[in-house]
Amino acid sequence: MVLIALCFSCIMLFAQKTITGKVTDDKGNPIPNASVIVQGSRVGTTTKSDGTFTINAPANAKSLIISSIGSEEKVIAISSGNFNVQLETATQDLSEVVVQVPYGTVKKAQFTGSEGTISAKTLEKQQQTSVTKMLEGLVPGIIATNGGGTPGSSASVLIRGVGSVSSSSSPLYVLNGVPYDGSIAALSTDEIETVTVLKDAAAAALYGSRAANGVIMITTKTGKKGSNRTSVSIRNGWMSRGIPEYDRVSIPDYYELYWEAIKNGQQYGPAQSSAAVAGAYASANVAGINGLVYNAYNVAAGQLIDPTTGKISGSAQLLYNDSWEDALYRSAGRQNINVNFSGGNDKTTHFISMGYLNEDGIVKFSGYKRYNGRVDIKTSATKWLNAGLNIDGSLAENNNVPSGGTATTNPFYYTRQMGPIYPVWQRDASGNKIVDPATGDYALDWGVATQMGARPYAPNSNLLGSLALDDRGSKVFNGNANAFMEVLFLKDFSFKTTLGATYWNSFGTTYQNSQFGDAQNVSGRSTKSGSRQFSKTFNQVLSYNKTFLTNHNIRALVGHESYDLITSSVSATKVTFPFPGTSELDNAATIEGAGSSTDVRKIEGYFSNINYDYKGKYMASASFRRDGTSRFFVDNRWGNFYSFGVGWKISAENFMENVNWVDDLKFRASYGEQGNEAISAWYAWQPLYGLGWNNALTPGGLAGSPANPELVWEGNKTTNIGIDFTIFKRRLQGTIEVFNRVSNNLLFDEPLPGSTGNLSITRNIGVMFNRGIEISLGYNVIQSRLIDWRVDVNFTKFKNEITKMPELTPTVVSGTKQLKVGQGIYDFWLREFAGVDAATGEALYYKDVLDTDGKTVLSRELTPIFTQATFAYHGSALPDFSGGVTNSLRVGSFDLSFLLVYSYGGKFLDGNYQSLMHRGNSFGTHWHTDILNRWQKPGDITNVPRIDQVLATNEGTSTRYLFDGSFLNVKNITLSYNLPKTALSSLKGAISSLQIFANVDNAHLFTTHKGMDPQRAFTGTSDWSYTPFRTFTLGLNLGL
Amino acid sequence: MKKIFYISSVLLVLLASMQGCKKEFLDTNPSNAVSPNVIFADAPSALVALNGIYRWQYSFFTNHGNFGQKSFDMVSDLMGEDMTVHSAGYGWFNTDYRYTAQLTAVDASRSERMWYFYYRVIDNANGILDNIDKATGDQNIKDNVKGQALGLRAYAYLNLISFFQQTYKGSESQPGVPLYTTRTTVGKARGTVQDVYTQIVKDLTEAETLLTGKTRAHISNIDVRVVQGLRARTALFMEDWSTAATYANKVRTGKTLMSVAQYGQGFSKMSDGNPEWLWGSEIITDQATIYASFYSHIDITNSGYAALGTQKKITKALYDKIPTGDVRKTVFRTPGTGSGANVDYNQNKIRVPVAASWAADYLYMRVAEFYLIEAEALARQGQDAPARTILDALGKARYASYSAGTLTGTALLDEILLQRKIELWGEGFGLFDVKRLKKGLNRPTGTGNFGGTSSLDPFTYTLPAGDPKFLMRIPQQEIDANGEIGPNDQNPQ
Repeated sequence: MVLIALCFSCIMLFAQKTITGKVTDDKGNPIPNASVIVQGSRVGTTTKSDGTFTINAPANAKSLIISSIGSEEKVIAISSGNFNVQLETATQDLSEVVVQVPYGTVKKAQFTGSEGTISAKTLEKQQQTSVTKMLEGLVPGIIATNGGGTPGSSASVLIRGVGSVSSSSSPLYVLNGVPYDGSIAALSTDEIETVTVLKDAAAAALYGSRAANGVIMITTKTGKKGSNRTSVSIRNGWMSRGIPEYDRVSIPDYYELYWEAIKNGQQYGPAQSSAAVAGAYASANVAGINGLVYNAYNVAAGQLIDPTTGKISGSAQLLYNDSWEDALYRSAGRQNINVNFSGGNDKTTHFISMGYLNEDGIVKFSGYKRYNGRVDIKTSATKWLNAGLNIDGSLAENNNVPSGGTATTNPFYYTRQMGPIYPVWQRDASGNKIVDPATGDYALDWGVATQMGARPYAPNSNLLGSLALDDRGSKVFNGNANAFMEVLFLKDFSFKTTLGATYWNSFGTTYQNSQFGDAQNVSGRSTKSGSRQFSKTFNQVLSYNKTFLTNHNIRALVGHESYDLITSSVSATKVTFPFPGTSELDNAATIEGAGSSTDVRKIEGYFSNINYDYKGKYMASASFRRDGTSRFFVDNRWGNFYSFGVGWKISAENFMENVNWVDDLKFRASYGEQGNEAISAWYAWQPLYGLGWNNALTPGGLAGSPANPELVWEGNKTTNIGIDFTIFKRRLQGTIEVFNRVSNNLLFDEPLPGSTGNLSITRNIGVMFNRGIEISLGYNVIQSRLIDWRVDVNFTKFKNEITKMPELTPTVVSGTKQLKVGQGIYDFWLREFAGVDAATGEALYYKDVLDTDGKTVLSRELTPIFTQATFAYHGSALPDFSGGVTNSLRVGSFDLSFLLVYSYGGKFLDGNYQSLMHRGNSFGTHWHTDILNRWQKPGDITNVPRIDQVLATNEGTSTRYLFDGSFLNVKNITLSYNLPKTALSSLKGAISSLQIFANVDNAHLFTTHKGMDPQRAFTGTSDWSYTPFRTFTLGLNLGL
Repeated sequence: MKKIFYISSVLLVLLASMQGCKKEFLDTNPSNAVSPNVIFADAPSALVALNGIYRWQYSFFTNHGNFGQKSFDMVSDLMGEDMTVHSAGYGWFNTDYRYTAQLTAVDASRSERMWYFYYRVIDNANGILDNIDKATGDQNIKDNVKGQALGLRAYAYLNLISFFQQTYKGSESQPGVPLYTTRTTVGKARGTVQDVYTQIVKDLTEAETLLTGKTRAHISNIDVRVVQGLRARTALFMEDWSTAATYANKVRTGKTLMSVAQYGQGFSKMSDGNPEWLWGSEIITDQATIYASFYSHIDITNSGYAALGTQKKITKALYDKIPTGDVRKTVFRTPGTGSGANVDYNQNKIRVPVAASWAADYLYMRVAEFYLIEAEALARQGQDAPARTILDALGKARYASYSAGTLTGTALLDEILLQRKIELWGEGFGLFDVKRLKKGLNRPTGTGNFGGTSSLDPFTYTLPAGDPKFLMRIPQQEIDANGEIGPNDQNPQ
C-alpha cells in the first residue's frame, strides 16, 4: 500500500505534447478500449470505438506502451512519429505451445500423445508445500489422496486408474528431464515452471521402463535471454482443521450409555439377570474399578446412576469437562518466502532462487521447516557446444507426532477415542486442578492408580505431557544436480549427455522421555537413525533434426541411460538416561539395538524415437526402448517397450478453410506398451536367507520369501484416442480423450497357504484394465479490457476391472476387498448389515441360503451371528467420475479464482466411525452421537443395535460403516490485486509488478458424513491419520 | 577438420564412459541376506539357519500380542482354569480369556498368527533337513544340526495339533494339520491326527539317536534331553503311559530340582544357576521385544501391559489349595495386601530379573514337569507307590512338610494333577491339560475367581469336554490359498 501511495506522489509537472493515433489488429480492424500509456509515467488513455486515441504526453516522454487484451503489447518510440499501431494477436495458438516430453520438448501442435500441463501461474495460487497436493482437479485423468495434514507431507497420485496389483501404481516423477527419486516436498513450488502429466504410451513410452503408470514431469524455472528480473514472494498463513471432528456424546450420556451396556450384558448375557438386578449391578460398577474407573461427578461412584431409571442422579454436579482436542490441536502459522533472480545474455542464462518455509502442524509439537536454494545456468560455450547445470538443495526440519494406526501415542487416535470423562489435568475430589509442586504448573492426569485411577483407555499416558517431552524429528537434506553437455555437429545432429544425481539424507531421532509413559521404566529410550539415498542417472542422446523438401520434418533420437540407486541406513537405540532433556546416545547407559544395511537397485535402457510431420498437418511418431532391471533374473530382466502415434491437424486442411467457427482441430491416436517392475522386493528372483535373526550372541538366518527367477516386466498396453479443438473464435478450447490401459503379466503377490511357511509369492499372473474417458473444456466467457472471465472444467470417468486371476486362487481377499475376475481392484467385499432386530436389538446380517451343492444361492435370510453372514461386493472405492472446475475472473486489477475438486460415487469404509460405534465392550473409549439412536427396548425400530458389554463378537466390519465417499472440495479460493501498469510505470521501472493476494486452501470439504476424510486413501479406508488442514494466506508478489 | 576431430573425441570419451554396458551392471545383492548355497555350504554355516529358528521362537511379529512361543503359552493358560485377568487394560489377550479370539480365522487373528508361527518353524526346519546331508564338514556337527531340526519340527507339530484339534486320544482319525517334510510352496490336505503324531514320534526318535552324546552350544538349542522331554509330552497326549514314564524318567535322571529360593527368583534367567532349566531362550537387551514381550503381559515390574490393567492372577480356588509355607504360595500377592499394580492374587512368579530392563529369558521346559509326567504316568498304570515317591520328591523341594501320604487310585491322580497345576502355573499347560483330561472347562467362580467385581469378566465359565470352542480355526487364508483344504475342512464351531 505504501508503494501505491508513492505512485500518486510522483506526479511531476512537465511541458506536454499531444499525440493522436490509431490502434488496429493484424487484419486492420480498429481495436477499441486498448490501453495507451506513456512509458515511465502514469499518464494514459484508452482508444475509442474506432481505435483512435489522443494523449497528452510530457515533453520528455520517450515512448508509448500500447496493449489490449488478446494482443501482444507494443512499445512505440515517440520519435518515430508513427502512431498508427498494428497489434499482433496474442498466441493462444496450439502451434506455439511447447510440451515437455522425454529427452526434450515438442510443439504441442506436433504432439501425438496425451498430456496435461500446469503452469506456474496456476500453481502459485495454491499454498501447498508439496506440488503433489496441487495437481488434482487441474488435469483430467488424475485422482489423488489429500496426503493428510502432516506438515511437509505429499499426496499420492494415480494417473488413469490403478495400474498394478502388487507392484507400484504411482507415476514416475521426472525432474528437469531426469527420473527423480528424491523428496517431492523438498522441491519449492515457487521454482516450478511447469508440471506436465504424460498419460499415454506416445507421451511416456520413451521412459518405457517405469512409465506404465504415467509420468509427472516437473520442470523448474530458467532465466530468459535479455530479461533480468528479481521476484520476491512473501506469504503468511494460518492453518486450522480442514475436516471437523465426529460428533461425540456428552459426559452424562457417556455414563448413562455405559450403564446401559453393563446392564444389558447382565440382562441378556449368560448371567440372565432380571432388569432390576442387572441395573443395580451396572450402577455399582459403571464408575468403579471394573467400569469406567473415573467419576466426574460429586456423588459417590456407586450412586452416580439411578439403578432403575439409568439416569444420572439428580443431585450430581459435574466437576470438570476437559477437551483433549483443545489441549492438543491449535491454530498454526505458515510462512513462506521466496526470492529469485533470473535473466541472461546472448550466451548464458541464469536462475537463482532462495526460499524459506515454515509450516507448523495443527497439532502441537509437529511442524516442518524448509530452507532451499536452486541455481540454473545454461551457456553456449561455442557455436557447437552448450552446457548447463541445475543444482538445488533443501534442508528440512521435521517435528513429527505419530499418526495413523492405533498406538496411543497417536494424538488423532487418542483425542478421538478418549472418553469425555477423562480429564487432561488431574482433579481433586472437588474437581479442582492440582498444582504439581515440582513444576508449579497444573498436574496432568496420566491415568494411573496413584492419581485418579487406572484409566481404562490408554492408562499411563497423557499426550499433552509426553509429546512435549518426547522428540520425534528428522533433519533432511535433499539435493539434486543435473549437468548436461550438448555438442551440435554436422548441421542436423546433436549429442547430449546428462548426468543427474540425487542425494537424500535424513538424520532422525525418536526419543521417548524418561519421566512419563512408555519409556519411564527404562529411564528414557532414544533411537538415532541415519538414512541416505544416492542415485545417479546418466544418459547419452544423439538427435537428428531435419526438414526435407520444405515440408517434411523429421526428428529422431537414439540414446542410452543407466540408473543406479544406493540406499543405506544405520540406527542405534539406547536406554537409561541419567537426566531428562537430552536424547543423545552418549548420555544413555544401555544399548538396546543397533543395525545397518545397504541396498542397490539398477536399471539400464537403450531407446530410440522418431517423429515425422508433413507441413504440421500429418504427424507420426514411433519409439522403442529396451530396459533391463536388477530386480529380475539375468535371463528375464530385459523388456521391450514401444509406442506408435499419429496426428492429423484437420483444421489445416483446405476443406476446413471456410468453417469459420473452427480455429483448431486435431485428431490424435496412439498405442504402445510400457513397463512396471516396481515391486517392493528388490531381489525377488533370488532365494535368500535373511540374516540378523541372531539367537543371543550367535548369528542366525531365516528363509525369506520364496524366490521366483521367472519374474518378468509387467506390461501396460495403452490405447489413446483424442481430439483437441479450439472453436468459436478461440472462445472454447477442449480436449476429449478415450483410453484403454491394459496391464498384462501383472506382478501379483499370489497367496500361498500359510502352512507352507510363506504367505505369498510374487508371480506374473493376471490381467487388469482401466478404461475411460477424459474431457477438459476451457471457456472464455468474457474477454474485455475491464473483465476477463474464464471457466475450465474437467471430467474423468474410468472403469477398473480384473480380467484374469491366478488359477489356484481365483479370488484373493485383501483386507476389505476381494480380487476376482469381473471386479475392480478396490471393490469392497463385505458382510451386509441388515439393520436391527426390533425384538432383541441384535444386529442382523444377510446370509445366503445355499442349495445342497454348496454353491447355488436359493434365498437370503437374516442372521444375528456375524461370522455366518455372507460376504458380497458392495461397490468400489474408486469414484464413478471425478474432476475439477477452475473459475478465473478478473475485474480490472482484481483477480478472483477458485478451484473445485469433485468426486462422485466412490465408497468409503469409515473405520474411525466404526470404532466410535462399539457396543460398550471397551471401557474408556468414546462414542459417536449416533449411538443415542440405539435399540433400547423390544419394538424399537432403529439401525443401531443394542449396546451390550458381553456381546462383543456379533459385530465387525460390514456395510454398516460403508458410506458414499462422494465429495466436493473447495480446494482453493484466491483473490489478488495487481498494481496497474499505469501506477507501476510511474515508478520508472523500480518495480515491474506488484501483486497482493489472499487465499484459502481446502476452504471447505463437502461430504456425506461429518468427520469423514474420503480422500485418505485410494482404497477408501480410514486410519486415524493426521487431519488435513485449511490454510488462510495473505501474500505479496513483487517483481523488480 | 580440426573441429570434427574435437567433436569426435568428445563423442568417443562420452561413449566410453557409458556405464552399464558391462553385463554385470544389473547384478545386485542384498547386504543382509545370503543365498542358501552360502548357508548350507558346510556344517558350521548351517548353524546359522538353526539359530534363525531359535530366534524366531521369541521374535515379535504383527502386533504386541505375538511374541513367539510364550504368547501361545499365555493363550493356553488364559484358556485354562487357573489364571484370571484383573481388568481389560489395553485389551491384549482379553478375547483369548473370553474364548472368542479363537473363533475368528481372518488375517492377523490369533489362529492365523499361531498357524503361521509354527509353520514358519517347520518350513525353516525343512530347509535345513533338505540341505544338511549335502553340506560338507564334520559329521558330528551335521548330525547335531539335523537332530535339532527334527526336534524343532516335532515341537512345532506337537503344538499345532494340540491347538488346532482335540487331544490325540479319541481323535486319532480326526483331521490333523497339513504335514510337510520338505520345503514347498504347494499346500497339502489336513490328513489325520494320527498322521501328525506318527511324524512327531518318527522325528523325535530319529533326533534322539542323532543327538545322543552330542553337547549343545546354548540352552536355546535342542539337545537329547529336550527331545526326550518332547517325547514324554507326546506320550502323555497319546496316553501311552509307559512311554511317558520312561521318557520322563530319562529327562529327570541326572538332573536336580531347584531350591526353594530359586523358585522365587522369577523363572527368567537361564544363567542364574537354576538346575531345572532344560530349554529356553536367552533374551539379551537388544533382542528383547519390550512391550511386545511375555514379561510385558505377565509381569507388573516393568510397567508393561500387565501393570496397566491386565494383571495375571491365580484363582482363589487354586491359591487356597496351596498350603501356607509352600514357596509356591509366596509368589502370588497375598489377598488383602494388594496395593498399586500389585493387586490381590497377582502373580509374581514369573518376573524380570532386574527392574528397568526387558532382558529376561523365556523358559520352555524344566525338570519339574517330568516329575509330574512320570508320577502321573505311573499312577495311571497303577504303580501308586513309585508315583507317590516321585511326587513327594517334588513336593518336598517346594515345601519341606509336603507328603502325598498314602493316597492311591483316583485320589492320588487328583493330587498329582493338583500339584501339576500349582507347580506349572503360568507356564503354558492350561488349555492342553483341560483338553487332555477330557473333563471340560470348569472355571471356579465367585470373589477371587473368574468373574465377580474384582476381575475381568470372562463370560465363558464352563465348556463340555470336546467342545469345538477348544479349537483354533483353520486360517481363512489357508482355506483360500490351499487347493487341498476347502471351507468344509474348517474346524466345527
